[in-house]
Amino acid sequence: MTLEQIADKVVETDVLVVGGGIAGCPAAAKAREHGLDVTLVEKAKTDRSGSAAAGIDHYGPGVRANYEELDKKYGKKVFRGEGFWEPVSGPGRFADMNVLNRIPDQGDWTIEELEKLGIPMRWNDGEFYWIPSVRYRGEMKAMLRVHWMNVKPLMAKAVRKKGVNVLERTMIVDLLTNNGRAVGATAVNTRTGEFTVIKAKAVIIATGLFARCYNPETPLFWKYKFRYHWCPATVSGDGLAMSYRAGAELANLDLPLWRFRERDDLTISHGNFPHNDGIPAKQMSWDGKDVLVSAGNTYAELEREGKLPIYYSLAHLPDDFHKRIEVAYTDERLVSFKIAEERGFDPRTHRFEVMDNRPHNFPLAGLNTDEDFMTLVNGLYAAGDSVNGFHGCGAATVMGFLVGDNIHKFVSAAGEPAIDETQVESQKLTALAPMTVKDGTEPMELESAVRYICDRYVGMLKSEGKLREGLRRLGSLRRVFLPKLMAKNPHYLMRCLEVRNIMDLAEVHIQATMARRETRVGYIRLDYPETDPARDNKITYQRMENGQAVLEIREVPDLKE
Amino acid sequence: MAEPTSDKDYESKFEFPLWKLIKQRAEEKDISYVQASEEVVPEYVKTIRYRDTEFEDAEIHKRAEELRKIVKHEQNTLDVF
Repeated sequence: MTLEQIADKVVETDVLVVGGGIAGCPAAAKAREHGLDVTLVEKAKTDRSGSAAAGIDHYGPGVRANYEELDKKYGKKVFRGEGFWEPVSGPGRFADMNVLNRIPDQGDWTIEELEKLGIPMRWNDGEFYWIPSVRYRGEMKAMLRVHWMNVKPLMAKAVRKKGVNVLERTMIVDLLTNNGRAVGATAVNTRTGEFTVIKAKAVIIATGLFARCYNPETPLFWKYKFRYHWCPATVSGDGLAMSYRAGAELANLDLPLWRFRERDDLTISHGNFPHNDGIPAKQMSWDGKDVLVSAGNTYAELEREGKLPIYYSLAHLPDDFHKRIEVAYTDERLVSFKIAEERGFDPRTHRFEVMDNRPHNFPLAGLNTDEDFMTLVNGLYAAGDSVNGFHGCGAATVMGFLVGDNIHKFVSAAGEPAIDETQVESQKLTALAPMTVKDGTEPMELESAVRYICDRYVGMLKSEGKLREGLRRLGSLRRVFLPKLMAKNPHYLMRCLEVRNIMDLAEVHIQATMARRETRVGYIRLDYPETDPARDNKITYQRMENGQAVLEIREVPDLKE
Repeated sequence: MAEPTSDKDYESKFEFPLWKLIKQRAEEKDISYVQASEEVVPEYVKTIRYRDTEFEDAEIHKRAEELRKIVKHEQNTLDVF
């Protein structure tokens, strides 16, 4: 059968961008500037989708500092991105700093590029406003405060104006490959069920990171979209899963971010709690004593001592800083005001409960790439949180621009993409099967079961027996319930595809956890309580090879001089 | 010492000053909260000492000193945040 006979629609493009967020939009816009034909696929609506849907109040990587002086003062080579990566820097390297160092290096260039796209970067007086840094006050300017309430609609507008072909409400099923090269993808429309083949000379994955094998604060987050604190908490890791199945390599799926679960009936922008323009929040035990919870192990210690719950308090902030927080609410999650008032939570006087201590999302995990952000699959690039290493919203834009600025070199050298029709037919069967199932399993039900397994059998306090049982149960779910997934409409079809991705990544996660037999800061293995020096600077990499899962533990490269 | 738990503080009525202004503007002009924010925030930021680095430094230093006192072991306080 020809592609036209198999699919409802065939799209041909130079570059396919998967994900219309704050990495995908800059990538698409920049690639268009080089005269490429670009198609951007977004499973929701680009104007208000993804982790930046409700706005952003800061931009990270515009780092400005006299590094020579800093290196001398601190007696070490200060990592160029340290100003905004420091919260997750643990002992040892968890990402290739040669890749990550491209981000602060290009921070200034990206500020200019964002302004050209119409994204506001300056404060109301026309100058940049640098958030005071606790550690490097006056020595390193690392984080800009920005009014980005409308960053998504502005980016969506800019992308359309550049002439990018935007396919919204479109969920990618899987990538298409041929002889180790990415040649496009298949997709379904989440409103009509239309099955589309996209032929592309190169593909950029910009779908963010992965989180949804663990519970966010509210169990029904698909119903209460903004009721979570840590962003991004609700990403299904679609790009990571499809790239893994296509042969790309994942890194750090053993290391979810340890984080408190916070008061579950209240959402406000969490970013304002720990830092507050340079003034850290007070943390206190239930009886009002000052405590310092810096990682999962210290929280576990307090739990054993009967000191829970832990609270945050901002009551010590001067009035001026409370007003700053109010402005931050308007830039990132305006709804915070409404919910806080309804719940009777006034950050000037009340404490904020830190409920629980558990894994959250996977900010360090992502696709292993070279310094041009290409994965192990030829022509398959990644940008933003989809790349291995901790990035956040500002770094996502930098990587988006970098990949978009560079990809024309690959495209001009690449031949026409050759599509294997049998691969397309197989993906179509996988994608549309849930539409034919009656009295089956709802995708959200299966997703909840996966999260239950990860919470119960992996969780904070890990051990071999629990992990093995978790893997067995996950396998059982996959065997028995995945074929019974039911989609009552094309929107549910998207949920079914998400669950498939979540299950694949949950399995990768448990396998990676079994392979890390040590305790390291917030990563706690009860059966291996000591840090294993042999794991210093070594990452767990995982990929699919001929249908088999391959796991390798390899050294992270040194930072080049 | 602070009161054990914070029960007594919850559920009391209060208003965020900026949110109050946004709601008022939205109602007056029959516009969305987002549109009202775009009008109100530029005025509100003028009342905040964003460019007063001396004031900022003093406040930041004060809290950093408090943190140093409660840090355990030899950990650098500022490394925690």
